Amino acid sequence: MILELKNIEKSFGEKQVLRDVSLKAEGGKAFGLLGRNGAGKTTSIRILMNVFPANSGEVLFDGKPINYNKVQIGYLPEERGLYPKKPIVDQLVYFAELKGMRHNDAVKAVDDWLERLGMIEYRNKRLDTLSKGNQQKIQLITALAHDPHIVILDEPFSGLDPVNAMLLKDVVKEQIAKGKIVLFSSHQMAYIEEFCDSIAIINAGKVVLQGDLRDIKRNYVRDRLVVSTEMPEKIKADFGNACSEAENGSLVIQLASAADKQRVMKRLVEEYDIDEVKVFEPSLNDIFVEYAGNRE
Amino acid sequence: MKQFAKILKFELAGYLKNKIFVGVTVFAVIAIAAVMFFPRFAQIFPSDDTTDATQALSVMLVKTDRLEQADMIDQIFSTAFTGYEVRVTSEETDWVKNEITSGNAECAVVMTGPTSYTYYVNNLSMYDMNTEIINEVLLNIYRMNAMIGNGMSAEEAEQIMSVQIESEVTSLGKDQMQNFFYTYIMVFALYMVILLYGQMVATNVASEKSSRAMELLVTSTNPISMMFGKVIASCLAGLFQLLALFGSAVVFYHLNKSEWGGNMMIQSIFNIPVDLLIFMLVFFILGFFIYAFLYGAIGSTASKLEDINTSVLPITFLFIIAFFVVIFSMASGDVDNMAMKVCSYIPFTSPMAMFTRIAMSTVAWYEIVISIGILIGSVIGVGVLSAKIYRVGVLLYGTTPKISSIIKAVWKT
Repeated sequence: MILELKNIEKSFGEKQVLRDVSLKAEGGKAFGLLGRNGAGKTTSIRILMNVFPANSGEVLFDGKPINYNKVQIGYLPEERGLYPKKPIVDQLVYFAELKGMRHNDAVKAVDDWLERLGMIEYRNKRLDTLSKGNQQKIQLITALAHDPHIVILDEPFSGLDPVNAMLLKDVVKEQIAKGKIVLFSSHQMAYIEEFCDSIAIINAGKVVLQGDLRDIKRNYVRDRLVVSTEMPEKIKADFGNACSEAENGSLVIQLASAADKQRVMKRLVEEYDIDEVKVFEPSLNDIFVEYAGNRE
Repeated sequence: MKQFAKILKFELAGYLKNKIFVGVTVFAVIAIAAVMFFPRFAQIFPSDDTTDATQALSVMLVKTDRLEQADMIDQIFSTAFTGYEVRVTSEETDWVKNEITSGNAECAVVMTGPTSYTYYVNNLSMYDMNTEIINEVLLNIYRMNAMIGNGMSAEEAEQIMSVQIESEVTSLGKDQMQNFFYTYIMVFALYMVILLYGQMVATNVASEKSSRAMELLVTSTNPISMMFGKVIASCLAGLFQLLALFGSAVVFYHLNKSEWGGNMMIQSIFNIPVDLLIFMLVFFILGFFIYAFLYGAIGSTASKLEDINTSVLPITFLFIIAFFVVIFSMASGDVDNMAMKVCSYIPFTSPMAMFTRIAMSTVAWYEIVISIGILIGSVIGVGVLSAKIYRVGVLLYGTTPKISSIIKAVWKT
């Protein structure tokens, strides 16, 4: 399964929200959609889900325009919300039925998921009697109960305690293993790094970076070294302005060019007491800040 | 279509499982039962007539200088004012006034000539009709005296004065006396149900928006199914409630029919012609739809539940104006005036205006067909439009958007 957004343009009134956005996500892999607040992530997701049409461009599923009657999408919106005053099982079954499930199948799927997430005891309770984290688990069921082809999770980990986060991780991994297209949108880079094989960064309505996360990291200019040492003062003194201290106490040495890498490493190991020296690989956080930070 | 059925079921269950909805309906049925069974209760506790009789009547003083006619005046006034103990006196006017302010008498008629008098009363009630009766009484006395003065015997004069006119009314169209009450009740029911349920639809949509359940709904269904599902569900709930109320009223009436026997008003209410009930149903459903769609659309544009009350005001005003045009026309007796004729073709006013004209006057069949045709077309148009507003409105958070920006956004989709 391949899901593609091609050359999507969208404006609300005078304001252009998406400019020539193209994205590609594959089944069996998780895709991370990153961007600052207001960059156009939710708009992209809504166009993908046919909440409103794009001004131009198309949404393709396996190369053909997507047929929303056949391709099922599960969505965990960032703005969480269900009916606070209604019994949990009633609304979960209702949403599963709206997605096309028959009543009995919907009841069974909902009960299975409640069991799986340890929520079966709350089955007939009103939603607003639950804690925020538990409400979030209920919300997750609305995204998964109808066994969709595409799972879209907007900030899935916010508000979850570590145990529930672990439970969610297992669920997400299982969905990926089933070959589904899993689309993540999050500001928590650690989770994206853990799950997503490929990412796209949207900034001010444009895709500024897209591709395989490992490739992106590897293609980064390898012109910085990270050094763990017992004698930082001496190295700092010798390297002058090229050397700076990182937050965790290790030193970062900026090379004049990536070609110097080998030579400088050798010199460091020979001349100083070095615990570890490696080429600096940016974290997703660094990449995000660089691409989404202050570009317009 | 499948989705529409699911939405309808879910929304309808929402109403029927709502404790307030059920509670209000049950309470209303009990209230109706209490009214309809009232004559039976009244029989169990018969009113004590003897105490009424011994209770002192209010005193009416009649001051006249013509004491020779005191007996006749006493008799005529006593007949005209059965609720008063009439005392004829010839005391000074100041004494009469004093009797009233001290509470010994309630009112007084001080005759200043054969055809003139002053009426004294402590506090003049809004409903005080005494002067009209006094005018009539004095006129009769004056005419009697005149006739007797011209040589007629008292009996002859009395006979002339008490002659009765016999008449008979045959209405070739509708009888407004007969149908006024049930038309009034039906128009009022229409008014109440549309206003109440319209607000409920608006609140329902707005609460889905504020609880963010909307986020899932718009990604799971199309707005037309959503809007029509909601509105039709609330219409069914409204019909159910009306049926419960009117149905229980009819059942209780028939249980107590013999007790109510003589009451013309109650009888006319329960003798509604069947064709009128069918018109009531048609106009109720169409009128309900057109307003409920508008209320739903408005609900979708509000971002907070608190905003709903102000947002729906324009629609509520429109509806109240329609209601008053109809009610005033009904009260004036001329339901075919120009305003009513115009209103019976405007979709927002025609449910009440046309219905009232059909009930209380004679309307040509093609007028009814045109009115209902315009209404059906408008319902579909307003329904589709409101679904579009809904789709645009529900995703707009923050401040309530301006009407112009909504129209622009809807135009573009």
